[in-house]
Amino acid sequence: MKILNRRLQHIIRGSLGQFLGMAVIIAVGISLYIGITTAFFNLSQSQQGFYQDNNFADYYFYVVRAPESILKQVERVPGVSLASGRIQKDVPVLKENQERATVRLTSYGLPLEKGVNGIELMQGRFFIPYPAGGGIEAMLNSAYFEANGLAFGDTIDIVADNRKYPIKIVGTAAGPEFTYIMKDAANMMPDHETFGIMMLPLNQAQHLFHLPGQFNQVLVQFAPGVDQDAVVQSIKDILAPYGNLASFPRKDQLSHAALEGELEGLEAISAFLPLVFLSIAAAIQFVILRRMIKSQRSQIGIMKALGFHNAQIIVHFSSYAILVCAGGAAFGIGTGVLMASYFSDLYAMFFNLPRAIGGVNYQVILYSILLSLGVGALAGFSASRPVLSINPAESMRPLPPTSSSRSLVENWNWLWTGLSSSWKMAFRTISRNRFRMLVSILGISSAVALLILSMFTNDAVDYLMDQHFNRESNYDYMLSFNHPIKESELLDISRLEGVGLLEGYFTLPIRVHLQGSSDEDVLVGIHPSSTLKQPTREDGTFIPIPQEGMVISRRAAERLGLQVGDTVQLETLLGLGPNRYAQLKIVAVNYQLFGNESYVSLAQANRILQESQLINGALMKVDPKQAAIIEKELSDMTGINSIVSRQKERDNIMSMMDSMIYMVSVMIMFSVILGFVIVYNSAVMSFNERKRELASLLTIGFTRQEVAVIMWKETIPQALPALLLGLPLGKFLAELYFGSVQFDMWYMPVVIYPLSYALAALGGLVFVILGQWAASRGIKKLDIIELSKNTD
Amino acid sequence: MNKDLLMQLKRVTKTYLMGEVKVEALKESSLDIYQGEILVILGPSGSGKSTLLNLIGGMDKPSSGDIIFKDRSLSKASDRELTQFRRHEIGFVFQFYNLISDLTAGENVALAAGLVNNPLPTQGVLAQVGLEARQYHFPSQLSGGEQQRVSIARAMVKNPTLLLCDEPTGALDYHTGITILQLLKQTREAMGSTIIIVTHNTAIGAMADRLVRMRSGSIAEIIVNDSPLPPERIEW
Repeated sequence: MKILNRRLQHIIRGSLGQFLGMAVIIAVGISLYIGITTAFFNLSQSQQGFYQDNNFADYYFYVVRAPESILKQVERVPGVSLASGRIQKDVPVLKENQERATVRLTSYGLPLEKGVNGIELMQGRFFIPYPAGGGIEAMLNSAYFEANGLAFGDTIDIVADNRKYPIKIVGTAAGPEFTYIMKDAANMMPDHETFGIMMLPLNQAQHLFHLPGQFNQVLVQFAPGVDQDAVVQSIKDILAPYGNLASFPRKDQLSHAALEGELEGLEAISAFLPLVFLSIAAAIQFVILRRMIKSQRSQIGIMKALGFHNAQIIVHFSSYAILVCAGGAAFGIGTGVLMASYFSDLYAMFFNLPRAIGGVNYQVILYSILLSLGVGALAGFSASRPVLSINPAESMRPLPPTSSSRSLVENWNWLWTGLSSSWKMAFRTISRNRFRMLVSILGISSAVALLILSMFTNDAVDYLMDQHFNRESNYDYMLSFNHPIKESELLDISRLEGVGLLEGYFTLPIRVHLQGSSDEDVLVGIHPSSTLKQPTREDGTFIPIPQEGMVISRRAAERLGLQVGDTVQLETLLGLGPNRYAQLKIVAVNYQLFGNESYVSLAQANRILQESQLINGALMKVDPKQAAIIEKELSDMTGINSIVSRQKERDNIMSMMDSMIYMVSVMIMFSVILGFVIVYNSAVMSFNERKRELASLLTIGFTRQEVAVIMWKETIPQALPALLLGLPLGKFLAELYFGSVQFDMWYMPVVIYPLSYALAALGGLVFVILGQWAASRGIKKLDIIELSKNTD
Repeated sequence: MNKDLLMQLKRVTKTYLMGEVKVEALKESSLDIYQGEILVILGPSGSGKSTLLNLIGGMDKPSSGDIIFKDRSLSKASDRELTQFRRHEIGFVFQFYNLISDLTAGENVALAAGLVNNPLPTQGVLAQVGLEARQYHFPSQLSGGEQQRVSIARAMVKNPTLLLCDEPTGALDYHTGITILQLLKQTREAMGSTIIIVTHNTAIGAMADRLVRMRSGSIAEIIVNDSPLPPERIEW
């Protein structure tokens, strides 16, 4: 066997470019596999661990106010394993720099570990319910704490029930419902400077909101295997007298939905991406080995004549593929571990999970080794089968000339007769090697499709932002007030210098009922003449706000199976005063991409609430030169709960997108490498096979450039259609990908700009040209004397 | 016989470096080649006959000495000039034909015809080698003799000044070999080309106008044959 090993070394040295090319593709496949699978595994593990240790709630019930004693009743409902009550409310923070922020005040009963949705201390210390010397102690989520440059012992001022309270910050903490902290689904991304979580003892929260012995949320964990619908209904019945505002399952919890969305996305690509690279590498190896065995037919015959067994020879050739894969895996494991650590850092930045996200996953590495060796063995053994049928005596006779046949193009006589001999040669060579052609076309189009897949997220986000910032919403600031006010009170704000348009709105949570089923939604009442925020149809055109009837959100329409013309019952869930009911006809469905909400006219909203001219927020358009001054003056107004600056929102998203650039560049690089290796291998194979022919062309007077052109002619009819095919394939994969990760807080459209198609095609051209160029270098070294010698 | 001088090899030497060993494949050899003659270069393997043919055909440059073709020196020609020389002046016929397997007989000939400005008509050349009826066949569908005819047609279609044949009958049986030699002779008669045949088969020397015998990298002797035999009378 030693001698065969030495022979293998010679073969590898003789085809080093191809060997390395394939190993790189395997390495890319393996690093993607390790990177993505490790990230998925780690993220999923730390999610589960975190959820379990802190009793992450299965269901949430929001009420106006309920006595603590009600919890005993909820706990007694069969199927409830754990229930907690708490107070949670958003309150404004008065920052020293006059800027406005909101914290979600969340209370915790003691002892902490026994409740649903517990928290874990990150830094500092836990709050004390009754600090010596009075005052209120609280903890913050780390991101808000850091983004606002706070220190333990600092005091921040909040406004609760129209009173200012100083709160002493004693620590930072994390909880399973705060892994991805966004104010609501209308925000595209977290903004830790302006929104955070403030955790404090229940007694203090009850004191702040004047709710002694009461809470406004009930969180429940179910026993395994119970009929959740029945349990939920029983709890709803218990809570009904206390103003049941909203209830939703874990899957609708914002932080959980965001984390699940990411996990689903990872899971979707964790199998797909490595599979593309590994299967293309396997196909190329198969083609190369088949050719190698064909060209070494007589040598195989000699080996057999010398007494080598079939099995030995098959192992000898298969070892080539196995070594390619082993080499690729060795390299891929290194880069995969690096990639996994990059992903981990990225996720640690996005998600607030205290369990270690990073770490090398040895199981995944073991799988990757088995996977790559499996790919090598499969390609090797299946390609080496023809070794069995080689007969030692026959194999030593020279091979008859390669038999050729008519190509498909010859059926089109008008085209064929006009072709030069070199084009005819190219078409026949291609159709003689159909499997190789298939591998080339599939490989090149996959590489182009991957280029599109790498770039299109940018397009989709850009389109979403363009729709959101330039069309659907046109305001500079969105204000929300602590309490509803009369629209006429907006005068104070409109008098500020530089305020252009100012439009009041009323936004309220609602429950939409239709024939026994219901869904919670957000209703926005705006003036029909409003231009600062508008619902849109599926084609992006604006829907005029009707005086009567409602524009329903796509989300609610889909969940309840609503159609235009249906009449639904609305239930308001404002938490102030009794819930009101109204029958409304659906006049249109709102396809707004972001912050998809239902709309009515402001007058209609007031009628439903049996009020008049009330608003609880306003949209503003301001003179950009005055923006800073206006923002400061708004911050001084205590009636304003929050100020959302569109510019800041946009900057925030842009900075998040920037962190994607590294990943996008890596994917583009991987795609180009894949394409390059495919073109290079295919061209080198064809070159090696036709060395004699090409050399004979040189002897009869072809120049080396003309021979290179002949080789190009063989690549073009495969590469061009493959490049074109890659474009729709890319769109198809993008749709498949988004289809698998779509979740209903956002609607991500599959938008691919013409520029991306052009860039993908250009990238494709680049790797085709590079691959062909690298393979054509062999022409320069073609020795015409050596090859025209009278040897077989 | 026309005695116009076509090419002159003056004290030509060719040295190859094989690893660390210098091999003198051709030693200070001089030869005049005349228009329209059939020159047979005979010698055992390793005698330098292929080296000589490669130098004549512009596939290689001499290490020293000079090669003059129609008043031009080929020894100092660039690769580009040598390619042009092969393209316009030389027709090659190989022992193993070296046809393009993906082109039919006719297309193989047409491919070469495309290289020069005034090629002979492809159909006519195919008729001349007796392959008109087989022109749509691929090399794999032709016998050895037929493939060698295509090879000759491919060389002829460029209407070259020099037709260089490297062991043209080496892979063929006796009868087929004789027909190929007849074809070469006819070609000379029809087109007036100079034909140089390199072979180790001494019998073929009988059809030559002049015979060059090679031994150990040198020209041992040049024999003028006043009465060349027609190929059909050659036996081996």
